[in-house]
Amino acid sequence: MALTTANSPSVRASQGTGASAKRRRPRRGPQREGLAGYIFLSPWLIGLMGITAIPMLLSLYLSFTNYDVLSPLGEAEWVGLANYKRMFTSDPSYWRSVTVTVSFALIAVPLKLAAALGVALLLNKAWRGVGLFRGLFYLPSLIGGSVALAIVWVNMFNREGAFNGFLAIFGIEGKPWVNDPSWALETLMVLAIWQFGAPMVIFLAGLKQVPTELYEAASVDGAGRFRQFMSVTLPMLSPVIFFNLVLETINGFQGFTAAFVLSDGTGGPVDSTLMYTLNLYLKGWREYEMGYASAMAWVFLLAIGIITAVFFSTGRFWVHYSDGDDR
Amino acid sequence: MVASTPAASRRRSGLGRGVVRTAILLLILAVVLYPLIWMVGTSFKGQTEIVSNTGVLPGDFTPGNYTDGWNHFDVSFSRFFLNSAMVALLTVIGNAASCLVAAYAFARLRFPLRGFWFAVMIGTLLLPQHVLTIPQYILFKQFGWVGGEWPYIPLLVPQFLATEAFFVFLMVQFMRGIPRELDEAAKIDGASPFGIFRYVMLPLSRPALVTTAIFSFIWTWNEFFRQLVYLSDLSDYTIPVAMTLFIDSTGQSAIGPMFAMSVLSLLPVFLFFVAFQRLLVEGINTSGLKG
Amino acid sequence: MSTEMHPATGNSRRRLLRGIAAVAVALPLTFGAAACGGDDNEGSSTDANKPVELSVFYWGSEKRAELTQTALDAYKAKNPNVSFKITWQANQGYADKLATLAASGDVPDLFATDDNMLADFATRNVTADLNEYKGNKLDLSKFPPSLVEYGTVDGKLVGIAAGENTQGLVYNKTLLTTNALPEPTTGMTWEAFIDWAAQVTTKTKVPGTMDPSADYKAFWVWLRQQGKDLYNGKQFGFTADDVAKWFTLWKGARDKKATPTADIIHEGNVTDISKQLVVTGKAATSFVWANQMPELKKSTKDDLGVVAYPGDPSAQWARAAMYWNVANSSDNKAVAVDVINFLVNDEAAVTALGTDRGLPSNMDLRAKFAETVTDPAMKLSIQVENDLASKFGKAPQVPPKGHSTFRSELVKAAENVQFGRATPEKAAADLIAVVQPKLG
Repeated sequence: MALTTANSPSVRASQGTGASAKRRRPRRGPQREGLAGYIFLSPWLIGLMGITAIPMLLSLYLSFTNYDVLSPLGEAEWVGLANYKRMFTSDPSYWRSVTVTVSFALIAVPLKLAAALGVALLLNKAWRGVGLFRGLFYLPSLIGGSVALAIVWVNMFNREGAFNGFLAIFGIEGKPWVNDPSWALETLMVLAIWQFGAPMVIFLAGLKQVPTELYEAASVDGAGRFRQFMSVTLPMLSPVIFFNLVLETINGFQGFTAAFVLSDGTGGPVDSTLMYTLNLYLKGWREYEMGYASAMAWVFLLAIGIITAVFFSTGRFWVHYSDGDDR
Repeated sequence: MVASTPAASRRRSGLGRGVVRTAILLLILAVVLYPLIWMVGTSFKGQTEIVSNTGVLPGDFTPGNYTDGWNHFDVSFSRFFLNSAMVALLTVIGNAASCLVAAYAFARLRFPLRGFWFAVMIGTLLLPQHVLTIPQYILFKQFGWVGGEWPYIPLLVPQFLATEAFFVFLMVQFMRGIPRELDEAAKIDGASPFGIFRYVMLPLSRPALVTTAIFSFIWTWNEFFRQLVYLSDLSDYTIPVAMTLFIDSTGQSAIGPMFAMSVLSLLPVFLFFVAFQRLLVEGINTSGLKG
Repeated sequence: MSTEMHPATGNSRRRLLRGIAAVAVALPLTFGAAACGGDDNEGSSTDANKPVELSVFYWGSEKRAELTQTALDAYKAKNPNVSFKITWQANQGYADKLATLAASGDVPDLFATDDNMLADFATRNVTADLNEYKGNKLDLSKFPPSLVEYGTVDGKLVGIAAGENTQGLVYNKTLLTTNALPEPTTGMTWEAFIDWAAQVTTKTKVPGTMDPSADYKAFWVWLRQQGKDLYNGKQFGFTADDVAKWFTLWKGARDKKATPTADIIHEGNVTDISKQLVVTGKAATSFVWANQMPELKKSTKDDLGVVAYPGDPSAQWARAAMYWNVANSSDNKAVAVDVINFLVNDEAAVTALGTDRGLPSNMDLRAKFAETVTDPAMKLSIQVENDLASKFGKAPQVPPKGHSTFRSELVKAAENVQFGRATPEKAAADLIAVVQPKLG
């Protein structure tokens, strides 16, 4: 680690207020920084131009065609806005999947974030064995979406499942949760919340980044634990909370694997777990309507793009960046 | 370290609080881990028991699932573990390096069109992967990457070009949490953007790098669709692709061995995680901020 | 970004996108065409000793992979110039990978499909028409004629049956004998069967039968018994009325407690063998394919029996369990056909492959093979299928494009009725409305 530079007197000297540092900011050539910017950006730019952009644009083009996967790409016929029109006017499964996805994201995302933050706070302090605990809490997220997981989940939440066995202790009669169209989506939500490891790790890493002298200062000022949490932890953690919120929202809306695995790739029972991306997959890969699936994907991008933009625009009111840069 | 730094007042009442905290954690843990314990139990059940016995414990203890699973295919599972480990480790390196430099540019440097490129970067996160698979396959085939001597090229090259926008965004968020006074001071000392990157941002980005490493590894370890599409030879298969071979749902299935291998495949990722999360603990607080 | 969102508004934008697509498309086409031209000039069929590498792709289990390897090795021993590049996948992922290969012009020379996919691939000319090889390189004279027919789409011979199967009603023999209940028989009417099942439920507390209202193959047999069929060309061979009657029949069965509850039925509404209710112990009978008997047996300790589906057994037919197909784009079609011919007609190959892909299609070899079988479950399955073979009716056409949509929509419609969310009539009408436009 390059402790030497970070420890150099000038760094320590600069630990004053941001204002004084800004006043001393040298006006050195913006061109030089611009050039450096593009040099640092270049791997990403090459990846964008060479790998990401072409397939994206191709899928955009295909969304205006009747591309069917099995016929050559060159034979796909231009159909104008027909795919988009169909989505909004004559495909009932489309709106079913929108409803399923929105209710999933609205409930599962906040609960998952709350679970992740709660457990991260419990596991933040260093004590003997904390690493093992972190690992154990992360374990469910390690499984990914395997056939084994599907079998496990069905056996937890079907009529004879462990969850109903647990309810029976309290004399409650359960339901065939995972096989019941009224409850299958809820079992999917439970699965998503259960796999809270990823945002938990990000919260943990974020907590590590909070400079400890801020707590010491707050403590000297007589702030209790709750005050410290509200006035130090939350603001300092806000960039990471923001990141988790944005990414888990995107993930929530994109949720494919769990729905695919749990419903045996059908979105059943009776479309109750037909997530948007699962519907898109079935259209593109099972019915070979890739043109239509591409149109669904671009409408998705637009919708989630708007939601993300809203997050970014509200972010400036509650996300605290230590770099003092308002974007 | 962390244990030594919190205010002394908070440590004094620590013992009672520690017991309560541990009790709460153990309770949550029991619920969270039950499905996994069930999974381990099932990995010791025989074929007829798996479909009929829904309890945790096997009635007829069948450790043979592990040996059967390991040697179930012409190629032994050790090969799939090695393939997966290689792909995952190279992905970790690629993502960590390429996303870090891109994130530095977005987080700290001012250059024309920065806002535009940032929006594009976020935009690439939003398109569902399933409509990109075929266009990407066709593109990579033109590059001559598909079906070559070393079939992992199409899986790995993108990882070295920061195409995983998730990690770029993650690192941007972390870097923006680092006080700008540090780079300003380095600038006054005459450091170039490269110097700042090397001596200020790189050492301070450890939590972000560790997080990236953990996620890259785990997600690659579990990733199925791309590996399925690009790998065609049994001896090149990775764990997720090999795992599906146990189940031919309309024909023969080996569910017990599949469970056994699922349990085994969790071990490396679990150990990777436990090893790397230590580095999280030794994050920013020891890296010189306090002098 | 916003301009990218509305590409159709500007002509130039559209031209740009088409340009990108054109570049992406043109390159492989030129290279591909050049490669093809070169090979064709060599004339792979004229020089019998020219080294040929065939790519082979199919789905299955490790055991199938072994058996197939053995059979292909036998071919290689006789034709040393031919080598194979074999890829196999489980059925999870097989269709996805095959579609990706097809999209990029990389269809394997020799690949497998089933009647769920065949029309999709055939109508897009992914599969070669093998009619020109029939009678010379490809000997189908020992096949039951209906099995050859069941590989023909729009007059083209696109799939060669790798094996034969037919519908089979599998029941838990142990459960019935211990409770002194009669076993179901071939030819009993649906009504009699449902009454029998209700009796089983009362006596054993295990529901007498799986409710097959979501099962296209059971519905298909039932339709044929009513003098109708699932398809008539590119149309349905039935009306919403028929579907409603079918759903009502099973609603009656559920009311009589002949079947399990809707959530349990849902568990059985999958193709997975290990989830069939007869092996999970949640019903006494399941509607499956007769050749799946031996595999079902591996998941249960109880003895199993198998008969035809209820009703007139002549409504059943010799169905191709799966097909071998040759890629239309293959440079080595003749060699691929020769390999298929070997796999279905060579005694050593047929013996090696066994009943893994269904009963051998070649009737002479099937009879020879049947004598050598020792596994009791396998023996029973062959015996029942052979008994039925004498009663088989004419094979239906291969299901048209859109069949897979029909299958999944039938499950939804039936479950809507089972969970009490729709009347049989409403569910039937919705089903027809959704699937009709997709047929063709």
